[in-house]
Amino acid sequence: MADVRLLHITKRFGATLAVDDVSLDVADGSFTTLLGPSGCGKTTTLRMIAGFFAPDAGDIVIGGTRVNDLPPHRRETAMVFQEYALFPHMTVFENVSYGLRMRGVAATEMRRRVHDALELVGLTAVDDKFPSRLSGGQQQRVALARALVVRPQVLLLDEPLSNLDAKLRVRVRTEIRLLQQRLGITAVYVTHDQEEALAVSDRVAVMNRGRLQQVASPLEIYHRPQNRFVADFVGLANFIDAEGTGARRVRAGRHELTVGREVTGPVTLVLRPEAVQLLPQKSPDAVNVLPGRIEAMSFLGTLARYWVDVDGTRWIVDVPSPGDAMLSGEVYLEILPERIHILTERASSQSPQSPQSPQS
Amino acid sequence: MAGTAQRPRLALRIGDPGLLGAFLVVSGVLLVFVFYPALRVISYPALSEYLAIPQNARWIAALRNSLFMMLLSTATATFVGFVYAYATSREDLPGRRLFQLLSLLPLFAPPFMVAFAYILMFGRQGLITKSLLGLDVNIFGWQGLWLVQTVAFFPYAVLIIGQVLDAINPTLEHAARDLGAGDGTVFRTITLPLARPGVAAAMLLVAITVLADFGNAVLIAGNFPLLATEAWFRIEGLADLSGAAVVVSMLIVPTIALFVLERVWVSRRLYTAITGRGSRVPRPPTPGVFKWPLLAACLVVAFFILVVYVGVLAGAFAKTWGYDWTLTLDHWALALAQGGDHLVNSLKVGAGSALLTSVIALLAAFVTSRRQYGFERVLDFLAVLPAALPGVFIGVGYLLAFNAPPFALGGTAWILILALTFWHVPFGYQAAVAGLKQIDRSIEEAAADLGASGLRVLRDVYLPLLRGPFLASFVTSFIRAVTNLSIVVFLVTPRNLVATYSILSMIGGGFWGAAAALTTALLAITLITVTLARVAIGRGLRGLPTS
Repeated sequence: MADVRLLHITKRFGATLAVDDVSLDVADGSFTTLLGPSGCGKTTTLRMIAGFFAPDAGDIVIGGTRVNDLPPHRRETAMVFQEYALFPHMTVFENVSYGLRMRGVAATEMRRRVHDALELVGLTAVDDKFPSRLSGGQQQRVALARALVVRPQVLLLDEPLSNLDAKLRVRVRTEIRLLQQRLGITAVYVTHDQEEALAVSDRVAVMNRGRLQQVASPLEIYHRPQNRFVADFVGLANFIDAEGTGARRVRAGRHELTVGREVTGPVTLVLRPEAVQLLPQKSPDAVNVLPGRIEAMSFLGTLARYWVDVDGTRWIVDVPSPGDAMLSGEVYLEILPERIHILTERASSQSPQSPQSPQS
Repeated sequence: MAGTAQRPRLALRIGDPGLLGAFLVVSGVLLVFVFYPALRVISYPALSEYLAIPQNARWIAALRNSLFMMLLSTATATFVGFVYAYATSREDLPGRRLFQLLSLLPLFAPPFMVAFAYILMFGRQGLITKSLLGLDVNIFGWQGLWLVQTVAFFPYAVLIIGQVLDAINPTLEHAARDLGAGDGTVFRTITLPLARPGVAAAMLLVAITVLADFGNAVLIAGNFPLLATEAWFRIEGLADLSGAAVVVSMLIVPTIALFVLERVWVSRRLYTAITGRGSRVPRPPTPGVFKWPLLAACLVVAFFILVVYVGVLAGAFAKTWGYDWTLTLDHWALALAQGGDHLVNSLKVGAGSALLTSVIALLAAFVTSRRQYGFERVLDFLAVLPAALPGVFIGVGYLLAFNAPPFALGGTAWILILALTFWHVPFGYQAAVAGLKQIDRSIEEAAADLGASGLRVLRDVYLPLLRGPFLASFVTSFIRAVTNLSIVVFLVTPRNLVATYSILSMIGGGFWGAAAALTTALLAITLITVTLARVAIGRGLRGLPTS
């Protein structure tokens, strides 16, 4: 096992700056996720750790050793590819044992380790099958076993679940996380799925346009995003332009709100849809109350999502466990001061946006 | 400090020592065996000899005739090829499979076989012209050559145009019909425009082949001078090496021009026409006014193909062609006594060169796909260049380059093997490049990630996955090698004779029966090879879904 340290790494492809001065510490035995939209540089970063690309500048250190100039086959990393990249002309056993053969492991030990690895990922009696005969989920497990069997210092996963259907995706990601914890292996995981990133990671590194935006625990990323991109990319958020008054009060349009800390100057308030309560009547003791009008509603089972118009601005509000009672018409939005996250950067000219528009 | 940082960087750029070695080997052999002989041909004659070309009436005539035949035979072969390909692309054409198979047959035959068979069938002693119709026909000359080249080369057009037509999504036809187009309009506005790049590609390929055609021309053109045959007459009759070099240099000007046109212009368009495959729906039925004329056309073409085989087969067993039709095995005895050893030689040369071709082609494709050293485009050019060179050019090139020290290979089997190997490299190379494109890069990365070095990746991943293209390349090269005449006529001596040359001598000496018997034997070998290869591919490659 080993930690991974990226020190100011930069990678260009022609005129495009794919990775721009990224520094990241991945602790030994941790599960770190690189999260971002496509083209943000997350896969390039992962591939530099694996050794498929050399960084143009900066250093990659694995377990205390600088590995910049080591080719992939000399690094103790193992990767699970998005398309699995199973060798189509080899059986499951041959696929999984490939890395061991490259390392000259003796036949008896090899057989034992391959079986252990297959058992670990929950596959039995498929040794002699070819990958084309397996289901997508099984292929995924073979790819995982093939990476784990060489006991890599670092396990690299490049969107390993994107070819699975939605239900299987949730199951396999939990399995991968449990396995990683049990083996205590260092894992670097790439995904564009923010829910997946939150669900499995010790730490999430959000990237955009080649740059790191924030590195923190899932809780931190979700509740205290460092900038508007992170807040917007991870989960849904209402963005409200406001003006700090110096005390724990801000002015947002016609309304004044109480917030958790003192602020001055222009700020953006970030409000997660579930941080806002929706009430049919104004409750007497509430601190921050805004009147609004429900424009649209979408029932999602565990929650009901409302699009509410407040003074010409559209808010998204989630009501958990909605049961059978649906709200409509005039309502009141109630916000607890400590649930308001404040970004000191001011949103440009954009009005608070609704990433998901209501279905009409 | 700077020094220590430099060294690993350099190591990374040079990469794997095995890969570097492969790169150097491939570059080296291509330079020595493709570039060097080509250079030898062009630089052999003095500049004054090139400048004297306009004064040489025979060569000017040969050039004019070659271009004339190119236009004529290309036009007819492409037209026949298009009609035939269109007909066999209709799923409801009666006997469609059989017609498709039939059009492939000439591709496996020695290139001079059509001419030989037509002399037997339509010549002065012709089974059809004289014995059946009682006519006195002189088939020798440009008209005979025109017919022969049309029949011999239309299958290339069928192959290319057929692929393009098959790739046209039937949904487009349905859509056009749905929008109100009649049958003729669908053909005119949909099928024809989409097939146009395929037709252009076919025309260029056929044109190159016609220009380079030696076997048919030498048998049937008679006193009609052509560049391809003129080169051989220069050497065979006059031992005029530099004259031959001038003539083949004249020949490569149009062939290379056509080749470049094909590479940079047509093949790019071809791909855009082939993309966009949806789910297959059956094609709409062909209307009767189309179907029956198409069937008739196919039957006529099929007749001309079958005549080739019937002619040679009959020739091998008829006692005295044109006079005595009693069946006999005498010709076989003569053929095997005189040409048996040569046939064995052909097989050795064919197998050796086919193996070498496939290995070099695969290695070259692997190395050029790396894009690591920046010289890959040069390598790529060298690997496809021989496709633009007529056999007679290669033949003269090897005669000039490898007949004397430092490369004294004259009279050995090696000079034949090497010449044929490098002439065929483009076929194997293109098959391997196409095969490599099918393999996702991540599979190679997975192997590297698990600890396989550069050449190990080639061995463990690419070799097994490219067995299909490898086998196809082997079979194509083998068939082309054992049936080749245009190169070997320049390189054989009494010590390294091969079957095709013996057949040519037998025809020249009037031993038609023995020549037909030996041709039949050669044909049998190629057909058996193809069948075996088809069975091998049909069995499916391990782990890969058979398509």
